Order: sequence, then structure tokens, then C-alpha cells
Amino acid sequence: MKNWKELEASSFLDANARERALGMVEAGTFTEFLNPRDRFVSPHLPVLGTAVEFDDGTVTGVGLIGKHPVFIVSMEGKFIGGSIGEVNGGKMVNTLRLAEKAAVQIKAAHPDEYDARRPLVAISFETGGVRLHEANAGLLAHAEVMDAFQDCRHKVPIVAVVGSKVGCFGGMGFVAAATDVIVMSEEGRIGLTGPEVIEQEMGKEEFDASNKALVYRTTGGKQKYIMQDCNYLVEDKISDFYDVLAKVADLSMQQIEEMRRIGSLKLVQEQMDLVKLVGEMQPKDSMDLWKYYGNESPEALPEMSTAEFLKVVKRRVRK
Amino acid sequence: MALTTLEFEFKADAPKSIAKEWSHLGVTGSGDLEVLMERKDLGGKTKAKVVTPVVGFDAIWEKMINKFVVENNVGDVSIEINDDNATPIVVYMRLRQALAEANAKEGEQA
Repeated sequence: MKNWKELEASSFLDANARERALGMVEAGTFTEFLNPRDRFVSPHLPVLGTAVEFDDGTVTGVGLIGKHPVFIVSMEGKFIGGSIGEVNGGKMVNTLRLAEKAAVQIKAAHPDEYDARRPLVAISFETGGVRLHEANAGLLAHAEVMDAFQDCRHKVPIVAVVGSKVGCFGGMGFVAAATDVIVMSEEGRIGLTGPEVIEQEMGKEEFDASNKALVYRTTGGKQKYIMQDCNYLVEDKISDFYDVLAKVADLSMQQIEEMRRIGSLKLVQEQMDLVKLVGEMQPKDSMDLWKYYGNESPEALPEMSTAEFLKVVKRRVRK
Repeated sequence: MALTTLEFEFKADAPKSIAKEWSHLGVTGSGDLEVLMERKDLGGKTKAKVVTPVVGFDAIWEKMINKFVVENNVGDVSIEINDDNATPIVVYMRLRQALAEANAKEGEQA
């Protein structure tokens, strides 16, 4: 395993779930919940003849950024596509519940210093959603995570970190949308139905999943940044994601609330306006929308480095 | 259909245990595997447990892990592997990496 300094300098895209978990908090502060030695494997997979993993494909734990305890959920896309089953779903839910419990206890113990010690949850999504081998338990986990988000609201900020190979799709696409803050790299992708599934169901005319440029400008970080679906766009480096987490940890809960996309009548109206706009415009490509928001040559945007892109890009203006 | 569990015991000529109490390496990805090594008093022997969806390769598993144990003089170690169709040479490479990780100094891990 790389040491912390090497981890920080390395690619987020190439890192496995445990490396990302270690790299998203300060050096040497990470404590894993249910580590591989606890052998908490899925009870359903062996019956179906599918290989198991000691951490069930999700690394959970807690570390520190300054005085903020940072609760981590980090998914491993190489293990059954990062899918969510009973055990790793339960790990995710209980990590969120622990974060909320910590917030209550810290507030009681340090009422004057709460803002400096407020917990943060960072979820590194790399998943296609429910694990079909144990789909009922997986779906239930999705619902319980949403519940836990609601319980954490106004108390503990929840940050979605998306920059891994599998992206964040299926039910977990909904879950990511329900977080407070979303951080992505250009390589990160968020969506509901994945590109291959759209092509399979609706045909190549509708969506050509082998056209990687199309896939990335529809689901990738740059598109999400322009549309205000993601709040921060960073380079593909673990330290860049770490820096955003450190920044968010120090924001006020009011500032964090303003970054949300769903969760109030006003935000629902904002989303409805977008649906109306797309209905009227009938865009053929996400580039039509980029142009609508004031980007004169939208075809140049995918080619730019993240730094260049951030300098010139025009985003949807939020009310 | 269910997963196969294989258990083996090996003995090297000059067995030496690992530096850390335990260590873990790898991901059970397609064509890959994860290794969990633990220091254990086994009278110099090495115990290995393999959980795999593959059927009919018991003898090759035994040969490959034996080669690893004998060539690297591993002893008093319990090895557990979760495999997902890794080829023998990948198995050998991951075991070597896991051993390096299990003997890495704390500072290197940080």
C-alpha cells in the first residue's frame, strides 16, 4: 500500500476503495469499521456460486480533517460492479447513523465549538446500484440511506464524491442526488439508467453507448458542473478531492443547504423549470444546453483541461 | 453451483512468520482475488483456505500455494483467499504482494 503522501498525489480514478478511504482524511487518522479481518461477507452470494469479499465491496470508517470527524463510505467497483447488497448496504446506513449520533454528542460536549468539530460524511460512489443477487435487501438499503440522509439534514453535511471508473448509476444515482454537496472529476459520471441499458432497451439511435464522447458529455463531470448538478469540479487527484472536503467541512450549514438540488418546494420548482425548458428546446445533445447557457463554442469544452474549463465555462444560473 | 472451499497445509524448510499481526491485499474482482494473511502459531506450518467459484482446479491451487510457501519460506501464517476466477500466475503474484505488504514497515504504510 502507498503511504499517505503518495496516495494524495495519485489518481482518484485508479485508486481502489480502501486507498480512496485513506486518502480522503488526514494521514494516519483512518479507522475502519468492519475491516476485512472481521470477515463480514454476504450470506447470499455463496448460495448462488458468486465470489465473496471480506468487506463486501464497501470500505467504511472514520478519520479526521482538522477537528472534524469525517465518516467515510467508499465503494469498490471491481467487486460485482460496486453493487449494493445487504451487508455493504447495512454498513453504509450504520456509518450515516453513527455520524448523526456523533453530531449529537459533540454538540452536547462542545456547545461553543460545535462548528469547528462538526462531523462530515463523505461517500465515494462507485456503483451501478442494487446487487441483483440480493435485490430486496439492496433496495431496502437504498431506502434506509435516504432516511438517514434526512435525519442528518441541517446537522451533518453529506458529500457525494464521484470520480471512479464505474461511475454512480441506478438507485445510487438517486441517492447521490439526495446528498448536500456533490464533488466530481471530469472522469466521474452520474446517471440513473446506465448507457448500455438505455441502448439495449431503446436502441442505438436513442443512445450509442460505444460512443464514449457522447457518454461523457451526457453523464460526465463537466456536463453535471454546467447544469449545476455537481457543486465542485476537480482534477483527477486524491488531494484535490481531499481539499474540497476540507473546505466543505468549514462551511456553515446554511451555505451547505444552498448547494442542494432537491429537498424543498423551491428546489422542486427549479427542477420543474428545467423539465419545461428541455421540453420546449428538445435538445439533441447536451452541447445544445451548454450553448443555451452562454458557451459560444460548446464543442471545445470536452477537450479542455479541468483548469482551462473552469476558467471559461458558463454555468446554468440558479435562482 | 455453490462456492468451493479448499483447505491446505504446507511446510517450508526454514519457515519465517510475517512482521505484522495481519494484512490484507487486493479486491475480488473478475480474474482477480483478495488475500488475508494472519500471524498464527502453527508450529511452523502455513494454513491456506481458498473460497472460489471455480471447480476442478484443486491440485493446481495446492501446487501454486505450495510453490509460494516453499520459495519464500513462509510459516506460522494463516492465508485466506477469496477468488473470482484468477489465473495461477495472478494467484502467485498477489501472494507475493500480500507477503511484501505483511512485512512492510509501519512508516511505509502510514
